[in-house]
Amino acid sequence: MRYLTLLLLPSFSCFLNFAICQNPSTNSAGQVITVQPKIMAIPYTKEGEDLRTILEADENKRIALTKVKEGFDSRGFTTVDFVAKLKAAKDNNIFTSENQSDIKSQIIDMSGADVYVQSEVIVEKGQSGNSVKLILTAYEASTGNSLSNKVGESGKFYTDDFNKLASKAVENCIEDFLNTIQEKFSDIVNNGKSIIIDISFDSNSEYTMSSEIGSEGLLLSDEIEMWMENNAFKNNYHLQGTTDLKMIFDDVRIPLKDQATGNNYNPNKFALEMHKFFRGLGLQISRNIKGSTIYLTIK
Amino acid sequence: MKVMKLNSGVKTIAIMIYITLMINCSYKPIPTAEVNFLTGKDGTITMRAIGVGTNIDDATNDAENNAINVLLFRGLPGSDQKVALIGTNEAEEKNKHPEYFNNLYKGKRYKTFVMSSIPTTDLIKHKGGKKSIAVDIKVNVAALRKDLEQNNIIRKFGF
Repeated sequence: MRYLTLLLLPSFSCFLNFAICQNPSTNSAGQVITVQPKIMAIPYTKEGEDLRTILEADENKRIALTKVKEGFDSRGFTTVDFVAKLKAAKDNNIFTSENQSDIKSQIIDMSGADVYVQSEVIVEKGQSGNSVKLILTAYEASTGNSLSNKVGESGKFYTDDFNKLASKAVENCIEDFLNTIQEKFSDIVNNGKSIIIDISFDSNSEYTMSSEIGSEGLLLSDEIEMWMENNAFKNNYHLQGTTDLKMIFDDVRIPLKDQATGNNYNPNKFALEMHKFFRGLGLQISRNIKGSTIYLTIK
Repeated sequence: MKVMKLNSGVKTIAIMIYITLMINCSYKPIPTAEVNFLTGKDGTITMRAIGVGTNIDDATNDAENNAINVLLFRGLPGSDQKVALIGTNEAEEKNKHPEYFNNLYKGKRYKTFVMSSIPTTDLIKHKGGKKSIAVDIKVNVAALRKDLEQNNIIRKFGF
C-alpha cells in the first residue's frame, strides 16, 4: 500500500500541475508585466481625402510620421505601424475609399490601438522664408480623452528642403509631447483607466430603468449607480445620463491591476463583475466589449 | 581662590558664546534654483546655473548639483523638460531610494550625465565670504532618464 501511494503521488502532482498551474512552458513564476497601451501614429486627413494617396504622395507627412515614431522608439516604446496596417488592410481588401473617416476609424479598430497620435503637417511658403508647422494630438481611441496636444514649428528658413523643415518641426515638440503623454499615463496608473459603459434593454425586455427591483425595491437605475459607486476605482465615475431605456457611464475608472491578485485587469473582467451584479438582481444580460466600451443589454 | 574660580567660569562662558557665534556666522550653503534654460537638442539640455562655494571647483560642483536637482525635482521652463523628471516631492523620493541618491550626489555620479561645464564668470565674492559662479552646463537628459528608468526610480514610458 505504501509503495502504491509513493507511485501515485508523482502522477497526482502531475495532474495538479495540469489542472491548476499555468502551462509549464509559459509559466512566469508569478511575474506580472503590465500590459502596455497600443499606440498608433496616423496622418491627419481632411474630409473626403484618401488616406493612402495622401500618405503616398506627400513625403513630408511620411517624414513627420516616421519622426514621431522615432520619438516613441527613443523612449523604448514600440508603436503600431500605420503604414503596415494600411498595407495589410489593402491586401485583404478590407476597406474601400468611399468613406475616409470610416477607414480611419476602422484601421484604429482593426489595429486594436488604445491611443492614436495624429500629425498634421502644414507647409508655409513666404518671401521671408519657408517653414513647416506640425500639429500633434494624442487621443485615447475608445473614450476620445485627449492625452497631449502640441504645435511644433520649424522656424523660417530660406530653403526648399521641406523634408528637413518637417523633421525640425517634429524635433522641436516631440519630447514635450511625450512628456505630457507620460504624465497622463501616470494619472491612469494612479487613478485608473477610463472605460465607457452603455446599458440598454432588449426590445422584448419587460424591464426599464424605472423598474423597482431587488430586496429593497429601489429603481434599477439607482441600484446600478450604487453598485458603480462601490466598484469604480477610487469611486471615480461619471454618469452621462439616464433615460427609461438607457443608462450611459461615459467615464468609469477601472484599475490597471487586480487589487486582490496583482494580475492585469481589463474591461472584460469589469464586465464580468457587472454580469454577477445583474445576476444577483435576477436579471439576464448579454454583454459586448469593443476596446474600452462595455455594451450591456438587459433581457 | 574664589576670584580665580569666578574668572575661569567667566572665561568658559565667553569661549562658549564665541564658539556659538562662530558657528552661526559660518558659511552655510542655501539651496537655490538659479538655473535657467539656454538651449536643448537631441536629448541634451544646456543650462546656466549659479553655484556657491569656497573656490571655483566647489562652486562649479554646486552649480552642476543645482542643475541636476532642478531637472530631477523641479523641471526647467522653456525646455523640453518642463516637468520634473521624478517629481516635485524630493524628500519623499530621496527617502524611497536612499542608495541611488547617495551615489548620485555624494558619490558624484551626477557628473557622468554632465557633458560639459563651462564657467561664464569669475568667482564673485559676496558679503560674509560667500563666493559664487555662473556655469553653462550641458546635461545628457536622455541618459539621465534612462538611468532613472533602469534603477526603477521612474516608470518607463507607458503604464
